[in-house]
Amino acid sequence: MREKSNAQSWLLTPDGHPRGYIGSQALAELWFHTGTNCNLSCPFCLEGSKPGDNRIEFITLEDVKPLIAEALELGVKKFSFTGGEPFVNPWFVQILGYALDHRPCFVLTNGTEPLLNRMRQVIKLKDKPNPLAFRISLDHPDPAKHDESRGKGNFRKAIRTLGLLHAEGFGVSIARLMEPNEDGDAIDGSFAPLLREAGLPPDLPIVKFPDFLPPGSIANVPNVTEKCMTSYTTAEQRAQYMCSFSRMIVKKNGRLGVYACTLVDDDADFDLGDTLRESLDVRVRLKHHRCYSCFACGSTCSGGT
Amino acid sequence: MPTSKVNAVHFLSKDVFELVLERDGVEFQPGDCFAISNANGVSRPYSASSGNKEPWLQFVIRRMPNGQVSQWLAGRSPGDEVEISLPFGWFRPGTNGASSDRCVLVATGTGIAPFLSALRSRADLRPLVCLYGVRCLADAVGLDYLRDRCPLRLCVSREDAPPHHHGRVTDLLSEIPLEEHTNYYLCGLDAMIDEVSQWLEQHGVHFTRIHREVFFNA
Repeated sequence: MREKSNAQSWLLTPDGHPRGYIGSQALAELWFHTGTNCNLSCPFCLEGSKPGDNRIEFITLEDVKPLIAEALELGVKKFSFTGGEPFVNPWFVQILGYALDHRPCFVLTNGTEPLLNRMRQVIKLKDKPNPLAFRISLDHPDPAKHDESRGKGNFRKAIRTLGLLHAEGFGVSIARLMEPNEDGDAIDGSFAPLLREAGLPPDLPIVKFPDFLPPGSIANVPNVTEKCMTSYTTAEQRAQYMCSFSRMIVKKNGRLGVYACTLVDDDADFDLGDTLRESLDVRVRLKHHRCYSCFACGSTCSGGT
Repeated sequence: MPTSKVNAVHFLSKDVFELVLERDGVEFQPGDCFAISNANGVSRPYSASSGNKEPWLQFVIRRMPNGQVSQWLAGRSPGDEVEISLPFGWFRPGTNGASSDRCVLVATGTGIAPFLSALRSRADLRPLVCLYGVRCLADAVGLDYLRDRCPLRLCVSREDAPPHHHGRVTDLLSEIPLEEHTNYYLCGLDAMIDEVSQWLEQHGVHFTRIHREVFFNA
């Protein structure tokens, strides 16, 4: 397995210790970044997404086809999509339909107008040979706190969308924000009455994420060294890191790049090449400040493979 | 981000103006938004009101009291450059369902923009009715054009402007035709959209026939 770069900043922490790394296994999940354009402009967005944003460009069906073909050759089990808001991308339903012809798919969405307005097309995707699941962002069980960042009425919309998708037989789950020193079980439990009211199972899977900070932020977090990884994680745990079994396709300036995971697209060091094959031959150094979140919290964007 | 040159800023009333930009060959679909930025790079999305075959890009904008972008745009002059994103959108008036489906339009304020764009782009689009709510008669845009294309019910909420309805579009919900093979397009502030959506669903319209575009005042 090769190093992406021999630069000291890639190989070593600022105080000279070898950085922790993950060696890639087989590609189980391929993510596509649909673009940073979003109908909402949440201040905490880790992608800096907002209406009209073009930091990461819309992918198209033609972009996706050869990568899906390569991923299938590599034995991929699932395709996943994130944005921005994927349903803002005008080609997204087509892309999803094409991907569902080959493998199960998983979509992260805010569950508001872009999806609601395409619900009729989305429902038709039930006829595809593979299942489709959605994870909708509901930041807090308190609708007012959710709407503070996402806009008035958007909690209600998102939970309604969850209910509609569930009623149509799609898999659904929730992504929420993690508060410092929170009582996680109590917060998760607070969703139950709201879910019941929307006709959803009260024990819907809830995944929580720490504040990842906007793209390009410099965070004051400990560096993950090789010693951290060997002393505090087992081989089994390391195999659960997303950079071990997944990759994400990102389109910038007209070029499609293969990135190590869904959280590092703001750092060109994690652009592992033009093809999935070459990206799997690269050792991923845990250099990004968000790598520490994976180390400390076991974060995963994946819906399971 | 690409830039575009200002052709004109037409004030329709004290607070509502039309911004006309050079199109520079950009392709868009009716219902598309463009994010337009002020000099500090703060952007807001605005729906085009011009047709997609017209040689310019036109927007209907309300100047908000503390609006960072709308205030700045209101002060532009012909020849000024503004930063504008590529078009994007998820609201497609008149295109959902079968090509033979009919449509009903409900707009408040600058929410009329995507409907004007759709009507200006497609000569064959003949809505069953357009309910259009404004605060003052002077805020209304494209009335003659709208009247020419469909039955128009104008509602003016803050002044009496006969023969128009004095009140809100939500006063006239019973005038909305409830017919099969009809799609309902709602654009404006969320309170109106929620009330109309709920009414339609309570009257048997399936949610997949209700298409919404929420405008925020910012």
